[in-house]
Amino acid sequence: MRYALKRLVQSVLTVFVVVSASFGLVRLLPGGPLDYLRAQAIQQGGSDLSVTEINRRIAAQTNIAVEEPLYVQYLEYMGAIFRGDFGRSIWYEAPVTEIIGPAIPWTVFLTGSALFLAFTVGVSLGAFMAYREGSRFDVASTGIGLVLNSTPGYVVGLLFVAFLGYRLELFPTGGRYASALTPGFSLPFLTSVLHHGALPILSMAVVGFGGWALSMRGNAVRVLGEDYLRSARLRGLSTRRIAMRYVARNAILPMYTGLMIAIGTVFGGAVIIENIFAYPGIGFYLIQAINARDYPLMMGGFILITVAMVIGITIADLTYGWLDPRAKGGDARESY
Amino acid sequence: MTNQTTQRRPQQLEDSDVQQARNDTPNAIVAVRNGSVTYDLENRDAMVLDDVSIDLKRGEILGVVGESGSGKSMLANAMMDAVEEPGITTGSVRYYPESDGNPVNVLELSRGELQSVRWEEISMVFQGALSSFNPTMDIRGHFEETLTAHDYDVEAGMKRARQLLSDLHLDPDRILESYAHELSGGMSQRALIALSLILEPTVLLMDEPTAALDLLMQRSILSLLDDIKEKYELSILFITHDLPLVAGLADRLAILYAFEIAEVGPSEEIIGNSHHPYTRALLKAVPTLETPPASMEPIEGTAPNPAHTPAGCHYAPRCPLATDACRTETPPWDDVNPGHRTACFHPEKVPEAIRFDGGENGS
Repeated sequence: MRYALKRLVQSVLTVFVVVSASFGLVRLLPGGPLDYLRAQAIQQGGSDLSVTEINRRIAAQTNIAVEEPLYVQYLEYMGAIFRGDFGRSIWYEAPVTEIIGPAIPWTVFLTGSALFLAFTVGVSLGAFMAYREGSRFDVASTGIGLVLNSTPGYVVGLLFVAFLGYRLELFPTGGRYASALTPGFSLPFLTSVLHHGALPILSMAVVGFGGWALSMRGNAVRVLGEDYLRSARLRGLSTRRIAMRYVARNAILPMYTGLMIAIGTVFGGAVIIENIFAYPGIGFYLIQAINARDYPLMMGGFILITVAMVIGITIADLTYGWLDPRAKGGDARESY
Repeated sequence: MTNQTTQRRPQQLEDSDVQQARNDTPNAIVAVRNGSVTYDLENRDAMVLDDVSIDLKRGEILGVVGESGSGKSMLANAMMDAVEEPGITTGSVRYYPESDGNPVNVLELSRGELQSVRWEEISMVFQGALSSFNPTMDIRGHFEETLTAHDYDVEAGMKRARQLLSDLHLDPDRILESYAHELSGGMSQRALIALSLILEPTVLLMDEPTAALDLLMQRSILSLLDDIKEKYELSILFITHDLPLVAGLADRLAILYAFEIAEVGPSEEIIGNSHHPYTRALLKAVPTLETPPASMEPIEGTAPNPAHTPAGCHYAPRCPLATDACRTETPPWDDVNPGHRTACFHPEKVPEAIRFDGGENGS
């Protein structure tokens, strides 16, 4: 319990540091966002805008009150962020939360499905490779896995969009669903969502499963050679129980932390893919914000992505001991 | 994947005449005849157990002593047809469930029949108890899954498990809740012994069960073993490389050298009246408190490689008494005394040629 508390405090601290860093980046970088916003305000409003008025506008956009002393600015900024106020997007002229919020489920849909596909296919394939260790199937799969694992997702994405999207016109090349449809739990809408999401999901899954397969293969080969497996067979356990409770459990366990970190990337994992497929998710808005120098939106995106990662790793750390008794905290159990 | 599918050559020994076999092996519970284990290598066979015939008698502790790689574990594995692929087990292993009943030919059993012999009749304790438990399952889980897999009543079985654990001086509640990594070496080894006895077997094959333990723990497990054997009416095959360790425990000893049995007989006979050059050399190499280190003599040379075992007596290349016959022909059994046999061409010369003032080494 003490470990869990310590770990949670650590995570909160990490988030705190990340948000502070985003304040520092915006406030302190020379030629940074504040100067840019100021120049923009002067350009828009001409010379008749007073300095106070410009500062007021900047404060509204960024939560940073430029006139106040640095520590007051910092406190106000932090306060706003932790109240959930991420400022207003310059480009969209709307609160950042209103732009990012609705994008979250779409991005999670893409990255989550891709991760699920890659993980299940990878683990099953890896286990199969381990059982057939050294066979032609194993060698071929290892090769394919290595190649795919070293291919960047955007290369596959570009190929998909070029051939399956533009050339063959089998899949749409942009958007989350056909614009004529109204969102809801209707079959045409859900089909359209899947149709639009298929290529982005596949391009991420295709480059992802190889890595899972290779680590699963390695772990399973190791477990298959363990003494406890031989002992389990001699004790007459069923093949099914040995496969699930002995091989799968002990082989997947070391991959659990990796999986949680991967889950932590659900918000930030599709930045380039979303742009290739013009899919309005978090990554899509993030690139838009970067191109448009929309600092509040950018910062909102960054904070969201980092916080998701911190949460993923925290969950991994807190639950690992529950899955693997060997990793339980020192005070959790008595060893004798 | 499974051991059951291990290929077999046609049996060398015809055991249609069960009575004949019965006569050969009075009071035996497991009788191994011409047991061999080979591994097909690229260009030649590697023989890791070479034509071994031995009986485990009902109610005895038979110590099998040999150096690393002499085929000790293979003998135990062959006894429950558990040689891992691609090893090939030949010969015959007969198990007598009742002292006057018909034997079960272990190597000829189907997969299902083998399942009901292994662990239920013939069980095994492995070296390295820690690695014999699933690291992510508590000890209770191991007992329960074994009972379930053999269709035993789990509740009654767990009662027995608790009894076994406390007979082995363990606290059942603590042990059952624990994971293997939470137990000390001695505790996990004892828990493994309890697990091997959970299905009430009659034969226990112990493959270097104390090799990973310190001397005190070795001794205490050995003395526990004696009690357990009496209480649960077990016949035990105890494999070790540590001759003095097992000499005090075992009723009989079998000395294995280079995949075949060199000498077999009652423990006192083997220790005090050995008629095989290897056994005597082995006894001379054992350090004791009484003998000065200078009188200890290592055995010159090295044990043969399984793919290049010498013709004739396997020990001949290292034996000071070796003659031409030793190098070309397999030595016959020579009965030194009733129940004490040595595989040597000239056993009568041995005590003179290799002297040692032992006899009390083993206790």
